[in-house]
Amino acid sequence: MDDPETGLKERARRSYEWGRLAGATRRSVLLLPVVGAASLCCSNPGGTLAGGAGLFVLVTFCLWRGQEFRRGVEPGLVAGFVPLLLPVLVQAIGHLCVPGRCLLFPAVCGLGGLAGGVALGILAPHPRDGRGIPFVTACLIAGLAGSVGCLLYGIFGLGVMALGLLLGAGPILAARRA
Amino acid sequence: MERLADGDRAAFHPVFAVLWPFLRRFAARHLGPGEAEDAAQEALVKIFFRASEFDASRSALAWALGIAAFEIRTARRRRQRRREESPPAEILEEAPDAAPTPEADAMVRDLEATLGEALGALRPEDAETLRLYARGDRPALAAATFRKRVERALARLRAVWRTTDGRP
Repeated sequence: MDDPETGLKERARRSYEWGRLAGATRRSVLLLPVVGAASLCCSNPGGTLAGGAGLFVLVTFCLWRGQEFRRGVEPGLVAGFVPLLLPVLVQAIGHLCVPGRCLLFPAVCGLGGLAGGVALGILAPHPRDGRGIPFVTACLIAGLAGSVGCLLYGIFGLGVMALGLLLGAGPILAARRA
Repeated sequence: MERLADGDRAAFHPVFAVLWPFLRRFAARHLGPGEAEDAAQEALVKIFFRASEFDASRSALAWALGIAAFEIRTARRRRQRRREESPPAEILEEAPDAAPTPEADAMVRDLEATLGEALGALRPEDAETLRLYARGDRPALAAATFRKRVERALARLRAVWRTTDGRP
């Protein structure tokens, strides 16, 4: 292959990677309004924004990388959006809340995590045949998305959400394996 | 292309090897040598930039050709603009004082005769519309209506011109 063609190939390669990154970023940007809404409701917006930034970077990376990584994004987001949105909605509606404290908080995180876990168990690609990347990606995305919502209630909310995710996904994954 | 859209980097080389010669030939069929190379390169780079948007349910070839055709049209428009903005140096040098040669005179007369003949073959309303348009006059009509009439008259003139001048 002559030199000009090698140069062109390099240019096309760079263009391909930039195109993938631009496409991935365009899709990940859709997460920002949700993260913004969660941070507005939160008493600790720093933590929520950090979780949101992590989620944005992870989803962008997975979409840019493609293949196995991309296959975990959709189930992860579907599963993660339940524990993300539920606490934000409860906070916005304000039922059973007194200033600085909400009686439903841990239960909301647990329920959200449980529902997200069930969704994860059903939708996530099964980690068999040595192809664990989509499953790990889906779990990471679901966990990060859930943490954006449950950080409203601090570390305790986060722990309850993680437990809910495990309890929801575990039995279904075990049943799928059987 | 489907593998490339999914993020399989190993598919890059085979797609490049198939696409580049194909785009070169396609551009060369529609543009001059220098322009064709540039347009083919631009098309190739754009195809790879948009590879992740490729929809596997569509034909990859038609999709790539659509992008290449757009680049070719852009190259043509660019060439046309260049011509409009800067006439060739020889024209600028010769035009002010060059007297028309007998051959040029004959060609102009021939063209005028063919145009007169084509205008004569049109309906009188179409011929009048084109004369008004050429003079820069506008009848007491809405601008959009007059524009439509001009477009229709020009289309009919082109059809008549093709038959009298014998050009496709």
